[in-house]
Amino acid sequence: MINSNNGFFDKFGGKYVAEIIRRPLDDLEAAFNKYIHDPEFLEELRIIQRDYIGRETPLYYAPTATELLGGAQIYIKLEGLANTGAHKINNAIGQCLLAKKMGKTRIIAETGAGQHGLATAAACAKLGLECVVYMGEVDVRRQQPNVATMEMYGAKVVPVTSGSRTLKDAVNEAMRDWATNFKNTHYVLGSALGPAPFPDIVRTFQSIIGEEVKRQAAERNIDIAAIVACVGGGSNSIGVFTPFIEDKNVRLIGAEAGGIGPNVGENAARMTGNASREGIVQGYKSRFLIDEDGQSMPTRSISAGLDYMGIGPQLAALGESGRVEFTAILDKEALDAVKFFARNEGILFALESAHAGAAAMKIAKELPKDKGLVINMSGRGDKDIFITSPVFRPEKWKEFLKAELKRLENNEDIHDAEIMNK
Amino acid sequence: MNLMSHLIAGFPDAETSIAIADALVKGGANILEIQLAFSDPSADGPAIQTASTIALEKGYSTKQGLAIVKQIHERHPETPIYIMTYGSLAFTPGVENFVKMCKDAGVSACIIPDLPFDGDEGLTEACKKHGLENIPVAAPSMTKERLETMASKGFKYIYAALRAGTTGSETTIDQATLDFIDTVGKGGAKVLGGFGIRNGEQSRVLSKHVYAVVAGSVFVNIVLSNADDAEGRKKAIAEIEAKAKEIAGN
Ligand SMILES: Cc1ncc(COP(=O)(O)O)c(C=O)c1O
Repeated sequence: MINSNNGFFDKFGGKYVAEIIRRPLDDLEAAFNKYIHDPEFLEELRIIQRDYIGRETPLYYAPTATELLGGAQIYIKLEGLANTGAHKINNAIGQCLLAKKMGKTRIIAETGAGQHGLATAAACAKLGLECVVYMGEVDVRRQQPNVATMEMYGAKVVPVTSGSRTLKDAVNEAMRDWATNFKNTHYVLGSALGPAPFPDIVRTFQSIIGEEVKRQAAERNIDIAAIVACVGGGSNSIGVFTPFIEDKNVRLIGAEAGGIGPNVGENAARMTGNASREGIVQGYKSRFLIDEDGQSMPTRSISAGLDYMGIGPQLAALGESGRVEFTAILDKEALDAVKFFARNEGILFALESAHAGAAAMKIAKELPKDKGLVINMSGRGDKDIFITSPVFRPEKWKEFLKAELKRLENNEDIHDAEIMNK
Repeated sequence: MNLMSHLIAGFPDAETSIAIADALVKGGANILEIQLAFSDPSADGPAIQTASTIALEKGYSTKQGLAIVKQIHERHPETPIYIMTYGSLAFTPGVENFVKMCKDAGVSACIIPDLPFDGDEGLTEACKKHGLENIPVAAPSMTKERLETMASKGFKYIYAALRAGTTGSETTIDQATLDFIDTVGKGGAKVLGGFGIRNGEQSRVLSKHVYAVVAGSVFVNIVLSNADDAEGRKKAIAEIEAKAKEIAGN
């Protein structure tokens, strides 16, 4: 099961949308099916992937981690080295280029952590498109560095004040905008979910991750036993898994956000535990963190990118069929993984990706030493400095922030600031 | 004229939403469209989303919402009640089970915009089985082909959303809109036309072309623009009755 069957992956997926949003989805589906077979489009995309995104990204052998974990050989797919710091750019560039071919001049996107918004803003700047990013007001407050960067790329960031003021509300707001403005506007959805055709489109543009892994492994005679990826909506995981779905020798493992525990509101685990159920929300049928009436429930994770109630329909189907295994990783396990790979390999994982790292640390020993265990590092951790610093070095961080604030309030150059004269 | 007026069960609270229903009926509404609040109402504008959030914060989800609906039905047994909500609230308890719960509350039709007519999870069938109508929502942006398919499916009513956007902005009744209404009714369905009706002038013009005029966010906005206290709610109810009168042409 790679492509959907008319929008469905087994029983999941579909196009459960009001008619006001149906037309743009159908138009998008037709355009995608045309351009994805157009050699000119594919060549233009390939050049941008090579020269702008920086593909291919390395498949790094991690010798110290391998030795310390004492099992399979650890390889890390460094998607964090892609321009803008995460895999999100693969999809953003693909969709923005497609939108341009469709004659759209304006792009809208939703974002939670800001990684997808950032990637879309960059893609728009590169391709000369107007960009509006919807972001929950709560997220705007806690993800200021990404807001600042999006604005640097020329995007307009619109804080969403409705509902819970987080990612799902940003999706609702983007849908509303699209319903009104689809004539000149394309909505770049950021993960492999939402109504059809988005799950197929996003998987297609992200599959380059898995295709590269497959080629790199073949070139270097790496016998892959398992691939681990973190799962928010599911775009980096389905991207790295896709070329291996038919190859039953490779275990595919998805790491969800276990947050602080197994109870409702403590995590964002849709495929393990018992907080989730089947539902139809935001245009697709899948597994969601919703209550017995069908209302969305609060989610929790230290990584903003995994903190969402729904999982892409294809992964839900692959999970139910048993092809993809799922595990929930706690916040503190993810933090430990960040530290482990930073110290031992000089590689700084994004908190999202660290969930995959943590899952790999748990299972490496189960796998033979002559086999490969691939971790998809979906993003790098520079963006998390405001979250990791308060955990790893709270006192020094507090001092820094206070001094910075003082300096800003006094309008001083850093050379003249009080902190320099201590 | 026929006027279908909208309210949200449990917004701003149970008691006031019942008083709002009373005021709408008194003002001339002869169909009530009662929305069950959903956490992610993506086919509605910000006003209804805000109101839905308030209703949910006060605990008016499906069961509690339908209890309010039942009270309204008992007060106005002659006024048909159509439930408007989202697919999640119908699918999660089971579509047929949901329809049964609606029936028990005195509901006569369901409007669920994100369960499309050609993929409705058995909604039309369940409605038929229990003597309710499923009312699909048509939009001007639909292709002619899709719209004609919907129109020919034998629905008794079709809700026509009269602009290519969501609830809350102004409606102009131009030739394109009139053509759209014509196509919606082509298969014999009675057309409920609305989205964005703000005043009597608009509804008077529209009423010539549809079976019933739909007015929704205008009433929600009246509640939202008044103070959230006893005084404000009283004022809102009076304003709603006056507005319904104006829109109904009474
Ligand atoms: C670095 C990184 N990894 C993973 C994710 C989760 O998304 P997905 O599951 O679609 O890959 C995000 C989302 O923001 C992210 O920024």
